[in-house]
Amino acid sequence: MLLLPLGILWFAAVGLALLDGRRRWVAWLATGTLAAGLAACVWLAVVVLREGPVETVAGDWPIGVGIALRADALGLCFAVLSLAVLLAALAFEAATRVRSRTFPALVLFMATGLTGLFLTGDAFNFYVFFELSMISAYVLTSYGERSRQLRAAMIFAVVNLLGSVLFLIAVAALYHVTGSLDLRVMAVRISVVESNPLVLSGTLLFVAFGVKLGIFPFHFWLPAVYTGTRPAVSAILSGGLANIGTYGLLRFGADLMPRELALAAPALVVIGGASVLYGALQAISRRDPDEVLAYSAIGQVGYVLIALGVGGPVGYAGAVLYAVVNSLNKTLLFLAASLRGRLVGSAFVVGALSVAGVPPAAGFLGKAGLFRLNWGVETVVGQVALAALVLVGGALSFIYMFQLFQRRFWEEGDVKVSSAIGARLLVGGLGLVVVVLGLWPEPLLAISERAAAVLAVGGQ
Amino acid sequence: MILLTAVAVAVLFGSGAYLMLQRDLIRLVVGMVLISNAANLFIMGAGLTKGVPPIYPLAADEAVSDPLVQAMTLTAIVIGFGVAALLVSLVYRVYTSHLSLDLDDLSAAEEREEAAKDRQPLPSSPPSREPVLVGSGAGAVGPGGEGT
Repeated sequence: MLLLPLGILWFAAVGLALLDGRRRWVAWLATGTLAAGLAACVWLAVVVLREGPVETVAGDWPIGVGIALRADALGLCFAVLSLAVLLAALAFEAATRVRSRTFPALVLFMATGLTGLFLTGDAFNFYVFFELSMISAYVLTSYGERSRQLRAAMIFAVVNLLGSVLFLIAVAALYHVTGSLDLRVMAVRISVVESNPLVLSGTLLFVAFGVKLGIFPFHFWLPAVYTGTRPAVSAILSGGLANIGTYGLLRFGADLMPRELALAAPALVVIGGASVLYGALQAISRRDPDEVLAYSAIGQVGYVLIALGVGGPVGYAGAVLYAVVNSLNKTLLFLAASLRGRLVGSAFVVGALSVAGVPPAAGFLGKAGLFRLNWGVETVVGQVALAALVLVGGALSFIYMFQLFQRRFWEEGDVKVSSAIGARLLVGGLGLVVVVLGLWPEPLLAISERAAAVLAVGGQ
Repeated sequence: MILLTAVAVAVLFGSGAYLMLQRDLIRLVVGMVLISNAANLFIMGAGLTKGVPPIYPLAADEAVSDPLVQAMTLTAIVIGFGVAALLVSLVYRVYTSHLSLDLDDLSAAEEREEAAKDRQPLPSSPPSREPVLVGSGAGAVGPGGEGT
C-alpha cells in the first residue's frame, strides 16, 4: 500500500523519460499520472489519519534488518502538499507550452524523490531520495536553457551539492554514534547518548537544511536562482523543494534530537527573526517581481524557524501550518506573477493578502498560529518581542506585496496582453484554494496538529 | 589508523574547498568531486572502529566489522558519480552559451543582461524577458544520473 504512490510515480517517470515532453499529449499524460500519484497519497493519508501510521519493510526482510518505509501524518502532510504543488506547476507548464523534452519526466522524478523522502523511515534512504529530487531540481533549474537559467543552475547545483555532502556526513556521524539507520531506533538510542557528538551532527544537519530552505545566513544563492529560472520552476523550487528543509528540520530536529533542538532554540529564534526582517527589507527595496518574491521567500521561512525554536506541540503545529500555507502562497504568486489578466490579478491579490496575513486568505491562519506561539514562551519580554516581530514582519510584507501588485497589475495597456486561458484558470483555481482554506480552516488545523502530535510522541 | 583517515578526510575536504573558491568552473567541479569523496571516506571511517573485515563465510565466534558502511559508501559513490557527470554537462552548456569558463566573464554577462533589462520600460516586459546570448540549440541536458 505504501509502495503504490512511489511505484506509480517512479514507473511513470522512467517511461516518460523516453518520450518527447514537448508534445502536448505527453505533458498531459505526465500531469495525469502525477495526479494519480497524488490521489494515492491522499488515500494513504486518509488511511493513516484513521488507523495510525503504516509501515512496510522493503523486500519482506524482518523488521530491523530491511529498509523501512513508514507513513505517518507528518510525512504524508508534506508529501500531499509537495505533490499538489508539483502538479500545479506541471499543469501550468502543460497549459502554456513545455519547452524541453525532459521537463515532464524530471518533474515526476522529483515527485518520486520527494514522496520517498517524506515516507521513508531510514536515514540513508532519506539521503538517496533527497539526492534523487535534488538532481532533478538541478536539471530543472536549467529549464529554458537561456544563459540566465544556466548560470542559475550552476549556482544552485554547486551550493546545494555542498549542502547534500554535509547532510551525508551528518548521517554517517549519527550512524557511528547510534549504530542504526532506522529513524525510530536512532531516536531511542540518541535519547541516551551524551549530547556532545550530537551537537556537531545536529549543526551539520541544520546547515544542510538551512541551505535548502534559504534562511538568512545561507540565503545567498536563492535570489540569483529564483530570478533566473522560469516561473513554473521557481514555483516548484520554493513551493515543493523547500519543504525538504522544513520537513528535515522537523524530522531530524524535533523527532530525532529534541534535546539538542531545545539547546539550539535561542539560536533558531534569532536566526529566524533575522531572516524575517532581512527578507522583508530587501524585498521592499527591489523592483523586479521575481526578486521581490525571492526575498519574500527568505523572510517567510524565518517564521517556520521561529516556530521550531519555540517548540512544543504548539510550536511544531505552527511550523507545519506555516510551511503548508507558505508553500501554497509561493506557488500561487510565482505562477501568477508571470501572467496577465483580470482573473490572474485577483488571484495575485489573494496570494499577496495571504503572505501579509490578512483574514480571508489562508495566510491569516499561519500568522494566527504564530501568535499562538506566545503560549509556549515563558518570559513576558519574549512574548512581546515575538508578537512585535510577527506584526512588523506582516506589515512589511503587506508593503512589498502591495508595491509589487501595483507595479504588475495596475499598469495601463497590460490588459490586452492575455495569457493562455488554461494557465489563467489554473492560477485562479489556486487562488480559490487559498481563500477556501482561509474560510474553512478546520481540516488544515486538524492535520497540522496531528502532524505535530507525531513529533511529540517520537520525542519522548 | 583513525588519525590517518581523519587527516585524509581533512586534506581531501580542504583541497576541495580550496578548488571551489577558484574562478575556473572546471576547478570548481573537481573541487566538488573531491569534497564528495571526502564524505565517502568519512562514511568508511564511521565503520572503522568495528574491527576485522566482513568476509563471508565467517568463523563461528569471530568479530566482524560492519558491512553496512561499505554498502552506503557504494551508493554514495554512485550518486556522486552521477552528480559529477551532471555538473560537467552543465559546465559544458554554460561554456557553449558564454564561450568562457571564467566566473568573472559570467558575472560580467549577468551585469550586461541586468543593464539591458533596466533600459527597458520595466512593467511591460512580456514573459520572454531574457536576451539570448549565443545559440541554445543543443538538446536538453539529459536527465543526468539518477543511478541506484
